[in-house]
Amino acid sequence: MKNYSIVPVVIATVFILGSCTKDPVKNLSSAETRLYITNHDSTANFSSFKTFSISDSVAIISNNHLRDKTHDSYDSLTIAAVISGMTQRGYTQVSNEQSPDLGINVNNIINTYTGYVDYGSYYSDYYGYWDPYYWGYPGLGYYGSYIGTYQVNEGVISIDMFDLKDAASTGKIKSVWNGVIRGEGIFQNANVNSNVQALFDQSAYIKAN
Amino acid sequence: MLLSAGVFAQDEGVTLKLNYSVAVPTGSFKNDVINNTSYRGFGAELMYHFDNKFSLGLETGSQDFYQKYPRQLYKTTDGSDISTVLSNSIQAVPILVKGQYNFLSEKAVRPYVALAAGGNIITYSQYAGEFSNDGKTKFGFAVRPEAGVYIPFRKYSRAGVSVGAGYNYMPFNYGGIDNLNNITARVGISFPLGN
Repeated sequence: MKNYSIVPVVIATVFILGSCTKDPVKNLSSAETRLYITNHDSTANFSSFKTFSISDSVAIISNNHLRDKTHDSYDSLTIAAVISGMTQRGYTQVSNEQSPDLGINVNNIINTYTGYVDYGSYYSDYYGYWDPYYWGYPGLGYYGSYIGTYQVNEGVISIDMFDLKDAASTGKIKSVWNGVIRGEGIFQNANVNSNVQALFDQSAYIKAN
Repeated sequence: MLLSAGVFAQDEGVTLKLNYSVAVPTGSFKNDVINNTSYRGFGAELMYHFDNKFSLGLETGSQDFYQKYPRQLYKTTDGSDISTVLSNSIQAVPILVKGQYNFLSEKAVRPYVALAAGGNIITYSQYAGEFSNDGKTKFGFAVRPEAGVYIPFRKYSRAGVSVGAGYNYMPFNYGGIDNLNNITARVGISFPLGN
């Protein structure tokens, strides 16, 4: 009597055993899930800027629309961490009415769909998130250098730095630096300082002197 | 006469062999993609034995390769800098035709040589932190010369254990990878199907 009926059972068993693969995501700590992405205008001379101003609230941008501007404890910590990072690099914080050389906005981007988001549209809507009037340049448009395309269905912290010093002469508010934080635990207060510091650490070219 | 007929019946027939395998990446696969040894490999071989020396059959299974690299700063082609913990994950499912030749076919320990050829269904995923690229599944050519020993449980039996080693030659051109070559060591247990 032939017992070939065992063959599919055995093959199935092998594949079940074979499916015991190491799951790369489950094998990450919370900190290891995080990405720190920075990009800058390679033509910008960061030592030509001496002062900066930072918006006092965080824009909540959902699917390329401004939903809210908030100023909770998380937002305060994030803004303070950026101020600290800039100050350590030799920049002086001034108010938005004191003609800062650099303007900094902090954004919490929440995209609730999966797909590729072209950050070109992020920048084309930017005046809607942050009115250039705030920086003293009504009528000028924001000019994004790039961020690229990311697959997003999650919350992202995006910090944008703009050249205000040359805005009047060039007729545009040009992005000179962008930092993005993605991953688990990025909205926890305890992680704010290390996350913002990571962006500065990998952007050694940001220095006033 | 009766005895020799009995021996003949044991020599010819179908055998199922189950393998556990370890795979050690070599060359550029080891240097550029994954240098961890994979201890997650399983397989099955269905072999037809023409006599007590030569057998031919099919092999399948799975081998899982994985490596996590410490956080590092990467420069992308568009000029941005990404600090991330990069993970590479590769699964190879072989579908191979295998021929095996046993030496010293009357002895308690029988050396063998084998050659398996065909292809692998290869799934390759790379993770930046928790974010995966879409992954890529490709069918790639594969060939494996193998040698080892087969130890039957009884003298005239196709049931037994085998221990062997081989070299998986696996070209794979994708995302800067050109091959997934690895050295494999395997232990198997085989038993006859039918009478």
